[in-house]
Amino acid sequence: MRIMKRGLLTAFVALAMTGTAFTTAAHAEGKLTLSSSQDPGSWDPIDTFLVAWAAVSTNIFEGLTYRGPDMELVPALAESWEELDEGKRIRFKLRQNVSFHNGEPFNAEAVKYTFDRLLGEEGAKGPQRSNYVAIESVEVIDDYTVDMKLSTPDPVLLTKLAGYGAMIVPPKYIEEKGEDFFNLNPVGTGPFKFVSYEPKVGIKLEAFQDYWGGAPKLSELDYRFITEPATAVAELQAGRVDIVIPPIIPIGMIPVIESDPNLEVVSVPGPTVDSLRFNTREGITADPKVRKAIIMAVDRKTIVDSILAGQGAEIATFQSALSFGHDEELAPLPYDPEAAKKLLEEAGVEPGASLQIDIRGNDATMNEVAQVVASYLQMVGLNATIKPYETNVLLNDIIPQGKTGAMFQQKWGGWTFDYDNTAYSMYHSGEKWNPYEKDDTLDKLLESQRPLTDRAERERILKEIGAYVADRALELPLYNTNAIYGVSKRVKNFIAPPDNRLKLTDVTVE
Amino acid sequence: MAGFLVKRFLQAIFVVIAITLLVSFAIRLTGDPAVTMFQGGGSMTEDDLARIRAALGTDKPFFVQYFDFLKGIITLDFGRSFVGGTQVSTLIGNAVPATLMLAFVSMAISIVLSIPLGIMAATSRGKGLDQAIRIFSLIGLSFPNFWLATMLVLLFSITLGLLPPSGMGGIQSYIMPGATMAIILTATNVRLVRTTMLDTLQSQYVMVARAKGLSETTVLYKHALRNCAIPLVTYFGLQFGSLLGGIVVIERVFNWPGLGTLAFDAVGARDYPVLQAVITVLSLLIVGINLLVDIAYGLIDPRIRTE
Repeated sequence: MRIMKRGLLTAFVALAMTGTAFTTAAHAEGKLTLSSSQDPGSWDPIDTFLVAWAAVSTNIFEGLTYRGPDMELVPALAESWEELDEGKRIRFKLRQNVSFHNGEPFNAEAVKYTFDRLLGEEGAKGPQRSNYVAIESVEVIDDYTVDMKLSTPDPVLLTKLAGYGAMIVPPKYIEEKGEDFFNLNPVGTGPFKFVSYEPKVGIKLEAFQDYWGGAPKLSELDYRFITEPATAVAELQAGRVDIVIPPIIPIGMIPVIESDPNLEVVSVPGPTVDSLRFNTREGITADPKVRKAIIMAVDRKTIVDSILAGQGAEIATFQSALSFGHDEELAPLPYDPEAAKKLLEEAGVEPGASLQIDIRGNDATMNEVAQVVASYLQMVGLNATIKPYETNVLLNDIIPQGKTGAMFQQKWGGWTFDYDNTAYSMYHSGEKWNPYEKDDTLDKLLESQRPLTDRAERERILKEIGAYVADRALELPLYNTNAIYGVSKRVKNFIAPPDNRLKLTDVTVE
Repeated sequence: MAGFLVKRFLQAIFVVIAITLLVSFAIRLTGDPAVTMFQGGGSMTEDDLARIRAALGTDKPFFVQYFDFLKGIITLDFGRSFVGGTQVSTLIGNAVPATLMLAFVSMAISIVLSIPLGIMAATSRGKGLDQAIRIFSLIGLSFPNFWLATMLVLLFSITLGLLPPSGMGGIQSYIMPGATMAIILTATNVRLVRTTMLDTLQSQYVMVARAKGLSETTVLYKHALRNCAIPLVTYFGLQFGSLLGGIVVIERVFNWPGLGTLAFDAVGARDYPVLQAVITVLSLLIVGINLLVDIAYGLIDPRIRTE
């Protein structure tokens, strides 16, 4: 597969230059065609964590809150809210005169039904529930007022209400038609309503004229599931797809799109970060000095500039610059091979010592990056070998079981853009993604910020966690990659969201 | 004939059990679908995972899961996909026609091309035409099919704008994927037809036919070709199996909603029920095609019919 992708890529780059671009947009007026890289299989909000779900469903469903491309949390189905009982109760005033696509009214009952379902038996079958366990119950105060009672304050809850599992669903519709039917025929309150879904092929939506925010400007949305990068780009070039939704366009194909006068690349910093974490329990990387030496031996800026072609940014901690808890002040360790050599000498590491880097075999970018890292390490006298794994094997077995080499790739990107989501999973002892580290100080720090509703205080602790992890050199932080959209120039008013949650209300096509 | 069919039927059952047992077991060694489901979802506890495993049924012992699956084959209920919970039978029902149509189109193009070309090569043995056909077939054999597919897309979709680059739709959409598969199949088939034909042309009955003064066309297509048919049909039949394998890659490049796409996604997501069902259907198809080949022998060669 990897070889195949490379072949495709090379062929494309080589020949796209000679090809004169063909364009006749075979589209009806007001219809936008998008390519999405995956079929989530079900449109029920509580069934999945896939970004491919959100890329479509943000147009069908809405939550009590909304977070758009500007990352600001704004009212959606709730017009306002207030925290009561020291953050253990949130009172929402709901928007009135809103109806679901099937005509059912939106009210407090629908909110209660949504969360009862998420936290009850139906939600237990899916992965979304675990994000909302802070909610103890939802109480209906009157038709347009609900109280959310929390078992512990959850500072990220309002953000989490803007997406995925917290999307408000129509009670009568689900009760009458059944769960299976709802999976395949979603109904929400959003600006577009469901028309048809063909598994592995695509999903079609049309404008919901009675949308409370005003009918959308487009009349139809046609999402096609395309998994192969070269195919998605070919469809874009042929004018049969208007927007290619990430993550699919490889960095190597950007010139192909840019050289086409009818297309453009829209790239925004996304949530996805990559780092090479260390086995801090065994081998030479158990010594923090060695870990620091390895970090300093690798010129991360050059990697971002050359291999990522600038489609990313260096990081000091395992989070994007958009993330809550990101510290502007904290700089990554400098690139300094001489200092690295000295540190290795101090640590008593013999020149020629070997270490292994485990990566995802199908990650074309990381394959190149790892090779560059290995040659940087060579320069300070470390022999690195790269071991590519099939992604699932690495995630399910090698990392959780602590069977990695001295270094291993971790890729992460939580849509909430909150460092807690990442840090807790990566560094708290006993977590699935933390096979090696047991650190009481770090555990306490991580636990202490979780219930805080005081934003400033929580941010301070998150920054402290970032600084602590950087100081202990638990990982070689690499980069935060951009979300790369391929867009036809016939598309107007499109603002690329960093988190794949495209709401296409204001978009038009020529 | 009845005995033969019963034997074949039992054989089919054995093949399906052996293959699915192996595949079901092996896929379970490589990762937990519950963990896959939590990707990107923040921290997960063992309780969360246990809850998901119970919902998916992967907490049961392997043989219980496997027998549930076998029971499902008999009742044609393959369970639900782990990704989204769609009925697997629906997914398979959509994918089988897509794959078969593509496979038949490819086979048909290839047979229509390779028989006349092979005969032409055989009758002009050693001459320019023969050389040319052999060189072209060697080139065809050496192409990786995904590369060929990409080149076709570049030429016909992007440069000329004549054909859709991907997806399944009208007749147009079959041209490129069908041709890609067909070119590679034809490359092998031409050589096979040529060799078989050369053997046959040297036999005595061809000499007799020629001596009788029959036209060369009658000799070739009526006498010689019929006698070549047995090895050719056997080979085309067997080829169908490898064709279904090769189609996985082509389906992906052309975004064809067939069994290959289904299998590819299922492996990625550790979607056991879908993967098991795809493998079962594929092995049944291959066993079935081989059965058809055996029956075809009788139709082609009366000598086998009477035996």
